[in-house]
Amino acid sequence: MESISNLAGRQWLSSQMDFSTKDGLTKIEAIKDGRCLRCNAKVYAKLPSGKKYCRACIGLGRIVEGDYLIRNKQKINFSIKANGGLTWKGELTSLQAEIARKLTKNYVDGRDSLVHAVTGAGKTEMLFPLIAHCLAEGKRCCIATPRIDVVNELYPRFQKAFSEIKIGKYHGREYQEPGLEQLTICTTHQLLKFFHAFDLLVIDEADSFPYAHNSELHFAAKNAVSANGQRVYLTATPTKDLLVSVEEGKLRKLKLKRRFHGNLLPVPKEKLFLRPFLHQNKINVRLIKEIVKVIQAGHPLLLFVPRVDQIKLYVDALKKEPKFSQIRISGVYANDINRIEKVEKFRAGKIQLLVTTTILERGVTFNHVWVIVVQADDKIYSASSLVQIAGRVGRAKTDPSGLVLFCYHKYTKSIRDAMKQIREMNK
Amino acid sequence: MKKCLLCGQVFVAKVTFVELFSWNKQEAQCICCNCQSKYMRIPDKHCPICFGKLSQDKFCSDCIKWQKIYGQKLLKNHSIYLYNRAFHDLMVNYKRYGDYALHKVLQELCLEDLAKFKADLYVPVPTSPEHLAQRQFDTVSSIYGSLVSLTPVLGKKAGLGAQGEKNRAERLRSAQSFFVKKNFTINFQKCKILLLDDIYTTGRTLYHARDALAEVFPNAKISSFTLCR
Repeated sequence: MESISNLAGRQWLSSQMDFSTKDGLTKIEAIKDGRCLRCNAKVYAKLPSGKKYCRACIGLGRIVEGDYLIRNKQKINFSIKANGGLTWKGELTSLQAEIARKLTKNYVDGRDSLVHAVTGAGKTEMLFPLIAHCLAEGKRCCIATPRIDVVNELYPRFQKAFSEIKIGKYHGREYQEPGLEQLTICTTHQLLKFFHAFDLLVIDEADSFPYAHNSELHFAAKNAVSANGQRVYLTATPTKDLLVSVEEGKLRKLKLKRRFHGNLLPVPKEKLFLRPFLHQNKINVRLIKEIVKVIQAGHPLLLFVPRVDQIKLYVDALKKEPKFSQIRISGVYANDINRIEKVEKFRAGKIQLLVTTTILERGVTFNHVWVIVVQADDKIYSASSLVQIAGRVGRAKTDPSGLVLFCYHKYTKSIRDAMKQIREMNK
Repeated sequence: MKKCLLCGQVFVAKVTFVELFSWNKQEAQCICCNCQSKYMRIPDKHCPICFGKLSQDKFCSDCIKWQKIYGQKLLKNHSIYLYNRAFHDLMVNYKRYGDYALHKVLQELCLEDLAKFKADLYVPVPTSPEHLAQRQFDTVSSIYGSLVSLTPVLGKKAGLGAQGEKNRAERLRSAQSFFVKKNFTINFQKCKILLLDDIYTTGRTLYHARDALAEVFPNAKISSFTLCR
């Protein structure tokens, strides 16, 4: 029975583990009326036998017509720690504390919240009081985010802040035996494995890929919360569906326009380019001038390019440029084996110019960094992407400003919207 | 407008002028050109025997090893794509997760090349009974079945474990697991047989398959075709 209580609040496929005869478990048809009950996707693909199977959540084990989902609806009583196990000794600014207070109030009122806070506002810290409140009531909480990197960044911070609580950490890149933890930090994909498990679910970076505009993950986020549980969405750039929910009164919006150090967001500069950014392995002279300015000012530079295959081209071309013979240049992308190492080197100042894709657009902090976005008009950059990229600059209390430069050939709606959002938050 | 089977992106399939006015409806494209571009064709300079990577020698390192065992009787193999990350991911989704719909993608990737090979018999490398039961489809026959007419004369013994889960040395050590089914009455003598498989990794599987066939039909001319090398 112990192994089953470890699986409280979870759901799994009958072919994976069959406990269907035991107490506290329910068994339902996994595909019903042409829909997958794990991810709610319409099921259309067929096996040669004619049985349908779900392609949308196949990474968690294929669901075929006739399979069953086993759900563990056991209620667990967690042992309650003083102050919810919060051992954090830091202090919130008055603006942060105000948001934190409202978050707890919304939770007590039984209402969902949307926190619209600028990049670098200190969203994580603002969550501490709410989570401590829940844990102190013996409730089960989860912080889910679309990005594995963000899970890896949040986990140690929460471990430090809640040193008396055992925290579960789950994402697809590392295998972890499912355990029963009062506080879970995971990717939004992992939510597909839960059913009515959490009394509080926080979705961090709710505007980012792959959670945004993914109906299966939205369904999972609904399903993972218990019937009278609450949700909190955190974002710097709310998606339309969230704003619509606010207007419909389903969500209470809390807005925080200032960074934790109280300064304004750096407003990006825009520069129109007529010639190509990279032509015959040579970088546009005007772009080089901009890079030189950053280097001369003594700042590390993140150079964003739209696609992975361009990274090597840019790195090679930059290295050939005699003006940059003195500085160390490198490139990083999602599947780079040395990704973590390179990011660490950049953080330590051993690399001065890092060419990157949108993988470093959010969730990371580099002191004193300045940013140039090449081809900011590429369709890969949404307005929220650009706002996040701009948000990498000026995050430190001691250095709250800096250069963000959008280089473009054609002014796009995304650039205009990003500029509008930043100016609006600075009002 | 179609939805790409791999990335879900909506795309417009390429239509040639001839197709536009042709009565024979072409099999519709199922992946977008962005996904397609991730699969790299094997460069022209490749091992003349198996399409593997060449270093300094005349043959690739795998074929040099096979030469020590088989002498002149090496298996001529034709492959199309490099086994890069994109192809690895595709095969993981197809074989490990059992996403049967992807057989259409694999068909699309090989149909033009396969059409250039004329053989009397096309023999798919079989799947083990355990895998077949688990996946509920045969990975190799599902790809090639609708492109050529298959003659499934080979069977595979049960209980030997998957090649994909072994390392290189273990794969090379694995024992013969194929047999020729008894109930085939076709005359195989002197005909041209093309063995079909998905990936050529060390060659162990295909050499075993070839050996099983050659033992029963010593005069047949056997070569092989795979998607990846």
